[in-house]
Amino acid sequence: MGGKSLLKRLLLTAAALTVGTTAGFANDLSGMSWDQIVSQAKEEGKVTWYVWHLKDDLRRAIQSFEEEYGIDVVIPEGTDTGNNEKLLAERNRETGDIDVFAASSDAFQTLDASALFSPLTMLPEDDGRVSEFGGLDGGDYIRAYWGNQTGIAYDPAQVDETALPQTPEEIAQYWDAYPNKFGFNYQNGGSGPSFYQNVLRVISGKDFSNGEVTDEKVSALQSGFDFFNEHAENYLITTSNSDSITRISDGELAMAPAWEDHLSGLQKRGQVRKDIKFYIPEMGMNGGGNGVAIPRNAENPAAAAVFINWLTSPETQTAFNRDFGTAPMNEAADDSFALVPAAQRKFRAEWAAQPFQNKVADLFIDNVIFER
Amino acid sequence: MSARKWLLIAALLTPGLGLILVLIGTVVYIAVAQSFGFYTITGESGFTTQFWSDMIGRKLFSRSINYSIYVGVLSAIFSVALAYPLALWLRKPFAGSMAIGAVLKAPLLIPGLVAAFLFINIISYNGIVNQLIQWLGFSDAPIRMQNDSNAIGVLILQTWKNLPFALLLLTGAVRGISDEVLDAARDLGAGTWARFSKVIAPLTVSGMQASLVIIFIGAVSDFSFQVIAGPTNLQSMSQLMVTFKDRGDWNSAAVVGVSLMMIALIGSALMAIGARLMLRRRLT
Amino acid sequence: MTMSKLNKVLMISLLVICTLWLVVPFTMAVLWSLVDPSQPWTADKLLPPAMSFYRWIDMWQNSSLKSALFTSYALAPSAAVLCLLLAAPTAFALGRFKFPGREVAKTLCLLPLVVPPFITSIFFSSVLFQLGFTGWRFGAILFAHAVLFLPYAIRILTVSFEQVRQEHIDAARDLGASHWARFRVAYLPALKPGIFAALLIVFIQSIEEFAIAFIVGSPSIVTIPTLLFSALGQDFVRPNAAVLSLILVVPNVILMLVLEWLLKSANPTLSSGKG
Repeated sequence: MGGKSLLKRLLLTAAALTVGTTAGFANDLSGMSWDQIVSQAKEEGKVTWYVWHLKDDLRRAIQSFEEEYGIDVVIPEGTDTGNNEKLLAERNRETGDIDVFAASSDAFQTLDASALFSPLTMLPEDDGRVSEFGGLDGGDYIRAYWGNQTGIAYDPAQVDETALPQTPEEIAQYWDAYPNKFGFNYQNGGSGPSFYQNVLRVISGKDFSNGEVTDEKVSALQSGFDFFNEHAENYLITTSNSDSITRISDGELAMAPAWEDHLSGLQKRGQVRKDIKFYIPEMGMNGGGNGVAIPRNAENPAAAAVFINWLTSPETQTAFNRDFGTAPMNEAADDSFALVPAAQRKFRAEWAAQPFQNKVADLFIDNVIFER
Repeated sequence: MSARKWLLIAALLTPGLGLILVLIGTVVYIAVAQSFGFYTITGESGFTTQFWSDMIGRKLFSRSINYSIYVGVLSAIFSVALAYPLALWLRKPFAGSMAIGAVLKAPLLIPGLVAAFLFINIISYNGIVNQLIQWLGFSDAPIRMQNDSNAIGVLILQTWKNLPFALLLLTGAVRGISDEVLDAARDLGAGTWARFSKVIAPLTVSGMQASLVIIFIGAVSDFSFQVIAGPTNLQSMSQLMVTFKDRGDWNSAAVVGVSLMMIALIGSALMAIGARLMLRRRLT
Repeated sequence: MTMSKLNKVLMISLLVICTLWLVVPFTMAVLWSLVDPSQPWTADKLLPPAMSFYRWIDMWQNSSLKSALFTSYALAPSAAVLCLLLAAPTAFALGRFKFPGREVAKTLCLLPLVVPPFITSIFFSSVLFQLGFTGWRFGAILFAHAVLFLPYAIRILTVSFEQVRQEHIDAARDLGASHWARFRVAYLPALKPGIFAALLIVFIQSIEEFAIAFIVGSPSIVTIPTLLFSALGQDFVRPNAAVLSLILVVPNVILMLVLEWLLKSANPTLSSGKG
C-alpha cells in the first residue's frame, strides 16, 4: 500500500464518517410479504443479537425461538458501551456484524434512529407492541422488549416494613432518624437519578413531562436542592446501581434506589442477599426499558425481523414477566408476576423529557453533589 | 547536520513515529474537529466554538481538571519515589531477588478493574480492615473509608498498579550504573541522599522521565479506579467525558477529551523538563 | 557484612509489605472465586458462607473461555513483537542522535496514549474497517494493538538506547567487528532489559485491551477482556471476575518468571563496563 493511497483512504474515511449514509443498503425487505420474509429468514438461518444484559438467561430464553423457526440465535459476549460503539464504528460498512441491536431507552436517545436502523414496518400488525418507553419515542425503528422499574431496595432486617417512607418528607425523616443508612448514585445507572428527579419534581411541583428549559422551571428546582443540602450529612452518595445494592447486602446501608430487574438478577446469581426487598414509593419513581432495532447494514435482515416479531409477541412477553419479573412490553401480555404487588405499579412515573432532564442532572451536580 | 543524516533520521522515525502520526494523527484530528462541532454523530455538524465556550465557564469542568491533575501528578510521583529504593536494592542479584522482583511486578497481571473491586471489598464499611480496627480496639464503630474525599483510595490503587512499571524501567537504568561510579562517590564522602541526587538520579534521568510521563498520562486520564473507588463529589476528566458521551453530547465529550489530551501532553512535557532541571548538576 | 544484614531487615519488612501487596488481594480473589451462588458473601463475614467450585466449572465449560485464552495468548505476544519491531528504529533515532525537534518527536510518540478512548474505539476501528481489514479480524486487532502501544515500546527502548556506551561501540569498531558483532557486543547487553520490559508491557496492555478487540473482533473473535467485561457487565459479578483473573494469572506468572530469568541472564556488568 503506497503512502499516498493510504493517506487518501484515511481522509476519505474521515469524510465518510461525517455524512450520514442515505444510500439504501442491499438488504432491504420492503415490498416483501410477511410469508416471504419468514421464508427468507429460514434461508438466512441465523441471527446475531447484540444484547448486553443477562446474556446467559437470554440464551436459554431464545431456545424456543430456535426450535420454532430453525434459525440460530447468536448472542455474542460484550458490554452496553461496547455494543453502542461497535454499531457506530461499523455504520458505513457494507455488511455489519449486528443483525438485532438491543439498548436501553437512554442509549437509544443518543443514536440517530433513522440514519442507523431499518424501519420495522414489515412486522405483522400488532397494536400491542410498544415503541414509546422510558421517555423514548422509537417511532418506526425501535420496539421495546423489556420493561423495568426503579424503586427503593431495602433490608427488611433494618427497616420497618409497615412504615416505609413514601414521600420526600418521610424520606427526610428517615435520613435524620437513621443517618447514613440511605444512599443513592447520581451516575453509572439510572436508579439514583430516578430518585432525585422525582424528589425534585414533587418538591418543585412542576411538570417535568415538557422538555422545555425555562427560567421559571429552573428556579423552582432550588427548593429541591435546598432539601438535599439541608440533609446532606445524613445520606450517602454511592458510585453505581450495583454499588448501592451491594452495600445494602453488606449491611452498611438499609435503603437505596435500585432497578427491580437488576436486584432480582443479582439475587439469582448469589451476588447479594436474597432477603433484600423492593418497593415503589408513592411519590413515584420512573419506569424504563430496553428496545431492539435492526441496523441498516444487517447481514440477516429477514431473520432479524422474524426474531423481533417473536421477541415482542404477547407470548414471549408473558414468559419474560414470569421468568425475569419484567414489565411486559406487549399490551396483550399477562403481567401477574413481579417483585412488587400490582397495586404499587400505579406509582410508576415517566422520565423528565429532554433537554430538561439533562439540565436537571447538571444542576443537581452543581448545586448538590459539589456542595458536599 | 547533513541532509544525509536528516534522511537517515526520517527513515528511522517512519515505522514508529510515522505510523503514529498517520493513523493516530487522523484520529486526533477527528477529536479536535469534533470539539468544534464537526463529526456530530447525531444531528447537525458545522463549525462552532460554542462547545468550548460553554464548557470553559463550567464549575464541573474546572473541578475535574484540578482533580485529574492532582491524581496524575501524585500517582506518578508516588510510584517513581517508591520504585527507586526498590530498584537500587534489586540492582545486584542476591538470593531471592528474582522472586521479590516477580512479586513486586505481580500487580501488572491483575486487571485494574478487578483490583479496584477487591480493594473496595477490603476497605468496605463492614470489611476486614474495619473488623480488624474494631478488634484491635482502635475504634468502636466502623470507619467509612470507601470513596474518601481526598482520593487516597485512587492514589493507592494507581501506585499499586503503576509502581511495577516504574520498577521495570528503573531496574534497567540503575543496573547500567557501574560500581566504580558509586564507589567513587562513596569514597568522596557523599551521603545516601547526595549519592542519590548527584549520581544515581542524573544517570537514570531518562528512565525516570519515561516512567513519570507514562504513569502521569495513565493516571490523569483514569476512569476505572475513579468510578469505583474515587470521591463521589468529584469527577475525573475521563469520567466527565463519558458522562457527556453517554447522553449523546459527542461534541462536549470531545471538548473534554481534547482538553485532557492537551493536559496529558503539556503535563508530561513539564514533568520531563522538571525532572531534568532538578538534576541539572551532573557529577562528571 | 552490613549489606547482608541490611538485606535481612529489608527481607523481613518486605514480607509484611508482600502480605499487603499481594497475599491479601490474591487470597481475596481465591475466596471470591469459591463463593457458591446459593449464598452471597457479604463484607461482614470473614469467609464465604458457602464454598464450591461451581464458578470454576461453569466458567471452564463456557466454551468461549478456551478459544478466548487461545486468541489472547496468540495475540498478545504477536502484538508485543510487532510493536517492538516497529518501535526499534524510532527509539534508535531518539536514543542515539541529537537532532533539533527530538523532544517534540518524543512527545508526539505519546499521542496514542492521550487520544480519548471513545474516539479511538469508534473512529480508529472505523478506519480499520475502511482499510479493508475486515477479512482478517485477528490481523486488524494485532495491527491496532501494535500501533496503539507503540508509545510504551518507543519510550522504553529510547531509554535503553541512551544507555549504550559510545566507548563500547567505538572499541568494537576499532577492533574491526562486523555490524552484527558490534550490535551483539555493544548494544544488546544494554538493550536487553529494555527489550524485555517493552515486550512485557505491550503484552500486558494487549491482553487487557477491550474496546478495539471487541469492536473489530466480535462476534467471531473473542478475547479475554471481552469475556471479562461481558461477564462483569454493569453488575460486576465478583466471583466470576475472580475466577477469570485467577485463570489469567497462571500463564502470566509463568511468563513473568521466564522474563525475570532472561533479564537476569542479561549480565548488567557488561553494559556498565569495568573501567
